[in-house]
Amino acid sequence: MANSLFEKYGGFSTIHSIVIEFYNSVLDSDVVGPFFDGTDMESLIDHQTKFISFLLGGPVSYPEAKLKAAHSNLDIQSPHFDTIKSLLGETLTAFDVEEADIEAVLEKIETYRTVIAA
Amino acid sequence: MAIASINEQLLRAVGVGIALFDGKSGNLQFCNDVFGEWFDDAGPGVAIQALFPELDFAELKARIDAGGRHSGELSFRRNRRTLVLAQIISQATVGDESVYVMECQNITRIRELESMLASYSKMVERNTREIQKEKDQVEELLLNILPRGAYDEYKSFGVITPKRYEDASVLVLDFVGFTKMAEQLAPANLVSELNELYTAFDQIGEQLGCERIKTNGDTYFCIAGLEDSELDHRASIIKTASLYRQFLKKRNENSEVDWVCRIGLGSGAVIGSVVGVKKYVFDVFGPAVSDAVAANTVAGDFEIIATDAFAAEGSHATQFAPSNSGMKVLIAD
Repeated sequence: MANSLFEKYGGFSTIHSIVIEFYNSVLDSDVVGPFFDGTDMESLIDHQTKFISFLLGGPVSYPEAKLKAAHSNLDIQSPHFDTIKSLLGETLTAFDVEEADIEAVLEKIETYRTVIAA
Repeated sequence: MAIASINEQLLRAVGVGIALFDGKSGNLQFCNDVFGEWFDDAGPGVAIQALFPELDFAELKARIDAGGRHSGELSFRRNRRTLVLAQIISQATVGDESVYVMECQNITRIRELESMLASYSKMVERNTREIQKEKDQVEELLLNILPRGAYDEYKSFGVITPKRYEDASVLVLDFVGFTKMAEQLAPANLVSELNELYTAFDQIGEQLGCERIKTNGDTYFCIAGLEDSELDHRASIIKTASLYRQFLKKRNENSEVDWVCRIGLGSGAVIGSVVGVKKYVFDVFGPAVSDAVAANTVAGDFEIIATDAFAAEGSHATQFAPSNSGMKVLIAD
């Protein structure tokens, strides 16, 4: 069985740096940062750890219903979703994730556009 | 450069946030740039409680003046982030004046990593529980088709080698008129009836050390003596056969469908093995199985027939009598 990207890039010992970087870039973003003005650190980190691990094929399942519920009270539109995708791509690039793997991750996140964005 | 100037340069250069408060009034005298970045209101003369409302200055003063120090943690929001600072307040003396030195270290990253680790741990624990659950389901499924010993061997070595058991007892049961019943009953009813019967047989047999090997339509095979060498497997199989018969008679009293069984018993050597590569089943064959099949074939309605060899073994001979079949019939439950 082929290794997941989660395993390929070193498991949690590497992925945690990606999560922190992504967390910072999201909070610093003027486009999507305001969504998290009232979110506490534990919740946001919990969500992002699970979400990025999920996207990379880590040891977590993220059912659509749960993903939808996590974003349902936010007015996330397609441009916001594009920004998140773009930030994630930049973060993965910064961590030397191969181009093809980044494409695969971005394709996977794209399949959740209608679940996350209104 | 004057010492005071050097000290100030040092305080400004360090990576932690430093603030000096007057020991009498509690008002800010100095703070370095790191501290200033965290607290916009920090300026000369600002009261310590204006910056940290949760601090009880009187209580703090009493503790520090008595030679103690204050340590704690505070968190607040800044630029959408939750900043977490570890705070230590101690006393220093400048000339005759008492100064409270507050050191603040940014431990936000530590707390973020702790949160992430907690999240990841929960994720892994949950995943492990799910894997264990699936493993248990697979084990349960395999134990339905394999004896425990064969399953353990498969788990340890990945293969099941054929094994000869020198002495075991086999029971073969079938139902009189099954072909006709299969034509008359609706398929769902027939399967439901068989499920109920075989489940009851499994439960009865399990109590007595008998294990179902297979079913083939209306024929039910079970065996005793594979796993437990100490078991009196003949006694177990006789008791099991007897209870099957009692169960069916009792059930027929309140059931729309009458089931009449014939039971054959045999004992001796058997070979147990997995047969097949992909769709494999555990099967037993050998003299004991052939004898039980032969005995089943000559059994009459609700009769339990055993081969002569089976009936002659051990202390069970008195439970059997000669029968017209040429074999022995069980005369008492």
